[in-house]
Amino acid sequence: MNQLTQWIKIAFRNILKSKRRTMVTLMAVGFGFASISLFQGYIHSIYEGLRASAIHGSGIGHLTLYAKGWQAHGKSDPEAYMISGKEIEKISRLALNNEHVTLASPRLSISGLVSNGKNSTIFIATGVVPEHERAVKAEFFDFQPIKGKPLDSKNDFGVEMANGLAKQLELVPGNDGVIMGATLEGQMNAMDINISGTYNTGVADTNDKFIKVPFSFAQSFYDTQKADSIVILLDHWQHTDLVMQQLTDTLASAGIEVEIKTWKELSVFYKSVRNMFDMIFLFIFVIVFIIVIMSTTNTMGMAVVERTREIGTLRALGLKRRGVTLLFAAEGGLLGFTGCLFGLSMHTLVWAIISYVNPSYTPPGNSTPVPLIVNFLPASIAQLIFFMTLLALLSAIVPARRAAKQNVVQSLTHV
Amino acid sequence: MKLIELQIINKEYKLGQTQVYALKDVSLSFDKGEFTAVWGPSGSGKTTLLNMIGTIDEPCSGTILINGKDVSKMSDNQKSDYRNNQIGFIFQNFNLIPVLSAVENVMLPLQIRNVKTTIAKEKSMERLKQVGLEHLANNRPDKMSGGQRQRVAIARALVTDPEVVIADEPTANLDLATSINIIEIMQELNKKDQATFLFSTHDQRLLDRMNRRVKLEDGHVV
Repeated sequence: MNQLTQWIKIAFRNILKSKRRTMVTLMAVGFGFASISLFQGYIHSIYEGLRASAIHGSGIGHLTLYAKGWQAHGKSDPEAYMISGKEIEKISRLALNNEHVTLASPRLSISGLVSNGKNSTIFIATGVVPEHERAVKAEFFDFQPIKGKPLDSKNDFGVEMANGLAKQLELVPGNDGVIMGATLEGQMNAMDINISGTYNTGVADTNDKFIKVPFSFAQSFYDTQKADSIVILLDHWQHTDLVMQQLTDTLASAGIEVEIKTWKELSVFYKSVRNMFDMIFLFIFVIVFIIVIMSTTNTMGMAVVERTREIGTLRALGLKRRGVTLLFAAEGGLLGFTGCLFGLSMHTLVWAIISYVNPSYTPPGNSTPVPLIVNFLPASIAQLIFFMTLLALLSAIVPARRAAKQNVVQSLTHV
Repeated sequence: MKLIELQIINKEYKLGQTQVYALKDVSLSFDKGEFTAVWGPSGSGKTTLLNMIGTIDEPCSGTILINGKDVSKMSDNQKSDYRNNQIGFIFQNFNLIPVLSAVENVMLPLQIRNVKTTIAKEKSMERLKQVGLEHLANNRPDKMSGGQRQRVAIARALVTDPEVVIADEPTANLDLATSINIIEIMQELNKKDQATFLFSTHDQRLLDRMNRRVKLEDGHVV
């Protein structure tokens, strides 16, 4: 311990001695650290947003339950693979017995043609329980504002229509329309709708097709008492896998065969964006990784050459080879650690500026701008400091081992 | 038993196509407490001989026994421990660590041995006092004169109470008055500590004060 303290002292003073060289290395490590940590904070906020958008924005919840076989055969024979009214009640009750489940809400998707009396176009609608929508939508209830009124279980024909579709059909809140389509039995059906509100789905591709209708309305349209899925909301997204397993077991033991999908499995957009950002992160990380290794190795290599006689002296005084390695590795590690602290101050400054300015941008495919958020992640920052310090320390090992292997007599006579 | 015994030591280098003998069939022994100079012209093998006794160089053939132990049979780590415990080095260019103060330089051999900092500091201050530099304990080498630096190096060499102090041309870079002062300090410490002092030198002022002189010429003991 005494020895290590002494080596760290020597390392620290040597770092201070070669100011210009130290500054260059600190800048390289610091900028690398700041770029990684800022990008990490940025993609963390993106993942957070995408997760919330998948769970609440698109309304798929944390878990979605389907009757067994729905995924494979539901399209060709929907009625055979839907969840009956009794099962809806039983599944909801069993699910709500789980301490992490906060809501179980049945869904029924319908599709067909929607008309304003003059023109018609295709629509895709989801039948939802109006009372459950505020909980399902969470923060998106305000983020996707409704012009007019939200769904109301007292208004059997009141629907929410996506802005694009409403614009296409020249419908505004208060107007009436008609939807047409086939029931599950294959009979043609038409039902009046009343536009109670319009909303923005946030995505251009869905904004001209989507309608949200009361669950009972969707059941009437398809002439059924069934649901095609049950959306489960949890107290925290991190319980998703745990609850999925628990629910699978609970429902299986109750004799109900279901397929349960997590929000990650259902949100293709989340997966593809996450894969893309993970790849960009890896790319940046590898570049910084190489810069840190090269700059630390170069700095320590120069230090070894400059201090060859010092190495010879220490060896003559009885310092073992591993002691010399430790001395230079400590210097590399200290350089890395100081660089990280420098990077952390840059990170904090940039983070504070972004938080203050609050800039926004419109990502591709979005119909509205989103704020640019960089999350401050203390645990990730601590991990990064540890990793980059270790990396700098390991980068110094190669020149340090070269120093340790030097012939003592030759080192002492080095000019 | 002799403290140091060299038996038919040979050391040769290849310089281009020529074989150069640094030491040829050198056999010598040294007793505890000796104050001995190895002298001779440049290139006579003085430094090579002392480096071998200090276990930082190895002979091509022959045996070196220290306290009856063959140093060629020691591993690199054992040699390091031996140097740390039994040998004190004083170099021509002082070889102090520039980023450490005088007392921190003196403490180094003890800290290599992992001695507690407070004890190492106390002992180092004692040695600095002996060489008359306690008032400069916190000065770094660049704030000291050549003579002061060499006195710090002497304190560093003696701080572990070694059996042997090896001094390679310790007065070569010093003026006359400083050289005499350095020699006197070493003589005094030799008498007081009973450590064996082995010098390489061609400084007549130093030679005049030696108990024993070993002359080398072209690698041979003359």
